[in-house]
Amino acid sequence: MPTSVEKPIKPEQILKELGELWTNMAKPQAGDSASDSHDGGVLRACAMTLISFVDDEEDAMDLGNTIASLMKEHPSRSVVVRLKEGEGFLDCRVFAQCWMPFGQRRQICCEQVEITSSMNRLADVASIVGPLAVPDLPRVILLRSARLVRAGALRKVLGLGDKIVVDSSRPGAPGFGELGGLLDAGHITGDLAWTRITELRSLIAQLLDDHTPKKITIDYAGREAGPEARYIEAWLESSLPSTHIGLQGDGHDGSGKPTLITVDDNLKIHLKDGGGCAEYEIDGMRQRASMSKGTEEELLNAELAIVIHDKVFERALNRITA
Amino acid sequence: MQNHWAERADRVTVTLMSPETTLQDPLRFHRKSPPCAVVIYGANGDLTKRKLMPALYRLAFEGRLAPGFAVIGVSRTAMSHDDFRDKMYESVKKFLEDSPFDEELWKSFAQGVFYQSGDVGDAESYKDLAKCLASVEESRKTEDNVLFYLSTQPSQYAEIAEGLAGAGLNKGKGWRRIVIEKPFGHDLQSAGELNGRLQKCFNESEIYRIDHYLGKETVQNIMAFRFGNGIFEPLWNRTYIDNVQITAAESIGVEGRGAYYQEAGALRDMIQNHLLQVMATVAMEPASSFTSDAVRDERAKLLRAIRIMRPEQVPDNAVAGQYGPGRTGSQPLQGFLSEKGVSPDSQTNTYAAVTFLVDNWRWAGVPFYIRTGKAMPKRVSEIAINFRTAPLAMFRKATAGAEALPNMLILRIQPEEGISLRFASKRPGSGMQLRPVSMDFNYGSSFGERSPAAYETLLLDAITGDATLYTRQDMVEASWNAVMPILDYWSTQKFNFPNYAAGTWGPPESDEMLARWGHTWRKP
Repeated sequence: MPTSVEKPIKPEQILKELGELWTNMAKPQAGDSASDSHDGGVLRACAMTLISFVDDEEDAMDLGNTIASLMKEHPSRSVVVRLKEGEGFLDCRVFAQCWMPFGQRRQICCEQVEITSSMNRLADVASIVGPLAVPDLPRVILLRSARLVRAGALRKVLGLGDKIVVDSSRPGAPGFGELGGLLDAGHITGDLAWTRITELRSLIAQLLDDHTPKKITIDYAGREAGPEARYIEAWLESSLPSTHIGLQGDGHDGSGKPTLITVDDNLKIHLKDGGGCAEYEIDGMRQRASMSKGTEEELLNAELAIVIHDKVFERALNRITA
Repeated sequence: MQNHWAERADRVTVTLMSPETTLQDPLRFHRKSPPCAVVIYGANGDLTKRKLMPALYRLAFEGRLAPGFAVIGVSRTAMSHDDFRDKMYESVKKFLEDSPFDEELWKSFAQGVFYQSGDVGDAESYKDLAKCLASVEESRKTEDNVLFYLSTQPSQYAEIAEGLAGAGLNKGKGWRRIVIEKPFGHDLQSAGELNGRLQKCFNESEIYRIDHYLGKETVQNIMAFRFGNGIFEPLWNRTYIDNVQITAAESIGVEGRGAYYQEAGALRDMIQNHLLQVMATVAMEPASSFTSDAVRDERAKLLRAIRIMRPEQVPDNAVAGQYGPGRTGSQPLQGFLSEKGVSPDSQTNTYAAVTFLVDNWRWAGVPFYIRTGKAMPKRVSEIAINFRTAPLAMFRKATAGAEALPNMLILRIQPEEGISLRFASKRPGSGMQLRPVSMDFNYGSSFGERSPAAYETLLLDAITGDATLYTRQDMVEASWNAVMPILDYWSTQKFNFPNYAAGTWGPPESDEMLARWGHTWRKP
């Protein structure tokens, strides 16, 4: 049930609204029996503060669906900042995302704060979002737009996050340059393009075991290698310094995503179904490895579980940006 | 001295840097199995169909199995490899939980599934298995690592182990391990005999005694809760804890397993193994490290510290029950004696409650109440830690007795896995009235991800050589030792069964057992 908050926006007012929201939700609803109200009710769940910035209407809806799915694995106080064209606009509402786990009688709910702001009020947003973060729990910032990274006022907000997550493979998203900047500024960073290749990297590590090949070639679709292909190249280069690592496109229009990994011409890992599976032949046996499709929800679920510096990722990113 | 430390520092630096030049990524990669073959005895049985094969397929689905992983099913029925694969295909599709079935992946997985018929009593069958294993090793490159999983009648465990040893299958170029399911013996003596025969064929470190309760996420979480947090352990002793109650209740009856259950009973079927292991996990001392031997040493020490009852102490500290007809929920339930395969004058306990005492400094004088039963009002497994009340009853007049409610910590194993802490809070308004409130952690709400089934965890543990969640012989013997006086005493008694109606929390003697200590059972 959305609740409007009157201007001027004060963090303590938003927190009060959240408190009232929970009080109302805990009250028995019409039609609840006495025992329902005692055993049922809602369970307030929160394991982190997730701050997301989006800069157009369509993206916000898409993000809203993703956040709703994330709440089951990473129940959070979610603060979504929607940036709009125009000037002097700043508004806020609070609401709850709830779901009923199968076979249980009590709803689990997470709270959400949605702030709508014009770009020129970003400085105000920073001073609102900070106090809204849940104390003592990790704070993760999800950045989808490179424009926001470059916005001066946003730097204050980035400083509030323990971790900043981007997806460098999204059009218009922060790229390696911005990511490297965030890393250099001391932020824990995560890139969903890196998360997307975890299962593939794990398979390569398993198949190579302790064997050091002479040459590994990464084929990708397109003329320009996408972030995933470049991450694989950088990871292999930094992990196997004596192995020659090659990266080659098929010369056609394409996604830039990896399609084939060839190890010393005797192991070929074919990536199929848009990365949903890998097929390879080893010791005369044809094998298939199932992989997740890498939806944004799956990737964020994996990334939000890591709120410490990821040395392997940072080593690969540094290699790319060096 | 300075040079010595400089050398050490260099060595440490080298050790820390080495992982950075490998392909491993411990932060993100899941644990994977080494190449190996799993030989399942009892391949035609229910456990293989319902649990083992779905668990292995799920491990394949998650990419946890080595490329050359192989499964060899063994049972008496004559069957081709393809027939066995077809049967397993149907079983995995039917019994796979919380997971999609990928036809293409199955084809890849099924290439590593084989079948060998043979009678466990026939020495030739082990030679046939040796040939089959050699052929599988050749084609699948399993590096001669073999896990034997005995999903058979317990009476066949020793015979199979001896057959394997007779054919030289207990040794090889790679590792050999053998997994057996409970019950590990019928009593202390038979457990010792079984162990003696097994240890003539395999080293203790190669014997994995599975207790699927220890594979449950929430049971493992007990250790994380106790030893991963600093605030609870200081309270985890006789000074602050008044009593501990462990409950494992099932709402169903024996459901066609009457003939088996009649031989076992609740005390043997649940308390001797699962629940004493849970108790050991709740009460053990912190291990010096999270390695299998360190953890199991502490569990074993706790089990050995359980006070052994004298025969005259049994009536006051152990209660046997058997359900009669009744209702669970809206369903009528027939009594145990009316179950198929059950003798009409059966003295089998379908309910057992025991008060255990632990003779060590941490727990001296704290009763551990354990109860388990069939046909209870609901299916629930939980541990309730009852803390002592506040030393001064300063709100007694205003609380109408509520203050007397002690703090209670509930570790819920199933369903709704999680942890709750009950404490007193002031009711809003003028005056000082206290009311008990609950602070909840719900596993499902904080970790929405799928929890692996117990058999997935335990199989992968056995394949990777992690025995932390498996029971060791000294633990088995210590737990038999704790229940033997009760079994011996009950075997001399003529019980007036049934003594509780289906759908109730057991016989009144169980409540009386706690009342003697001034306690009452928690109603889950």
